[in-house]
Amino acid sequence: MTDAPAVPVIEASPQEVYDIELAHNLLDANARLARDNRALLDSHGITAIDFMGAIGSGKTSLIAGLCERLKSGSGLAVFNGDATTSTDVEAIAEQGVPVVQISTIKSCHLDANLIRKALGKIDLHQTGLILIENIGNLICPPEFPLGSKARVVVISITEGAYMVKKHPHMFLGANIVVINKIDLAAAMGVSVAELVRDVHRLKPDIMVIPASCKTGIGQDELAAALLDL
Amino acid sequence: MHEFSLATQIVESVKEFTESRPGNQEVLKVRLLVGELAGIEAEQLRFCYNSITRETPLERSRLEVISVPALVRCSRCLYRGVPRYLKDSRAWTKVPTLQCPKCGTPAEATQGYECELKSVQFAEVSAPKLCHLPTGNHRGTSLNAP
Repeated sequence: MTDAPAVPVIEASPQEVYDIELAHNLLDANARLARDNRALLDSHGITAIDFMGAIGSGKTSLIAGLCERLKSGSGLAVFNGDATTSTDVEAIAEQGVPVVQISTIKSCHLDANLIRKALGKIDLHQTGLILIENIGNLICPPEFPLGSKARVVVISITEGAYMVKKHPHMFLGANIVVINKIDLAAAMGVSVAELVRDVHRLKPDIMVIPASCKTGIGQDELAAALLDL
Repeated sequence: MHEFSLATQIVESVKEFTESRPGNQEVLKVRLLVGELAGIEAEQLRFCYNSITRETPLERSRLEVISVPALVRCSRCLYRGVPRYLKDSRAWTKVPTLQCPKCGTPAEATQGYECELKSVQFAEVSAPKLCHLPTGNHRGTSLNAP
């Protein structure tokens, strides 16, 4: 700053310098809220599962498919994170499932506070299972636990052969990985088996489900896996 | 983009700390622990910190990011130590995995997710706080009037 007026500067002598330990966890505010959410969900016997993945990976279509399979008897509700539109909510509402839209406007991920607010918008006594669709983003959502019991990462064949290798961080905290759009594998020249191997190299025990919302393959398996959690 | 909100949180925490203490402090250094698995970019974080603190009482302070290596433990072979890293000739950075480097079975991370404001280094100064700007005003031109 060359044109700033002079500001008095105080130079400290070394003996006046102090170091104070703070040990303040910066992600703790969200983590604490996530634990509160989890306690609230557990006290009502509700299982929440959140879906993370890139824009266009098929999170909404997958959740719509799960709604068809799980809506009767499970007390299903859906929280739909979307930056600006209500496109996804409409797809779910068509199924007659209670849905809450969480508009983050400019934020790139859902956080535990937004989930806490969304939980206030549904009848917890009528709910047994909540599917949460995170914002389409591969970097930030893993840093922000929501209080869900399990995290699902949705990737798709159209994201290319190096998808897992390029975004390893996303998979380390996940419980289930869905490889979506496998009906396009031949056209895209992408090997499903290689993607499965890439995921297992990062986390050997993670469940990987190849799926397609178009053909329905993998969707029953995913629904069963979620009910098994 | 959460490096920016994280930097904002750091600044707020440091401000809270200095305001809670009697006397006047000049913050010199803010130390942050960032784990290898935490997905936080140190360079961007420092850039955001410097942008937020410009022309505020924290302007002369420096954000020091100390990286914390990932550690894993294996419940099968009882290995404890650094994780297995992905071997990919095209990866320009080493990628930690949750696979036991000894027996290949799933391992659990015991360290590496840290994001902790570790300490604040400051000097006690006897003069009144200078260029102390109201919150949110990062320009502070009015305070520079002679």
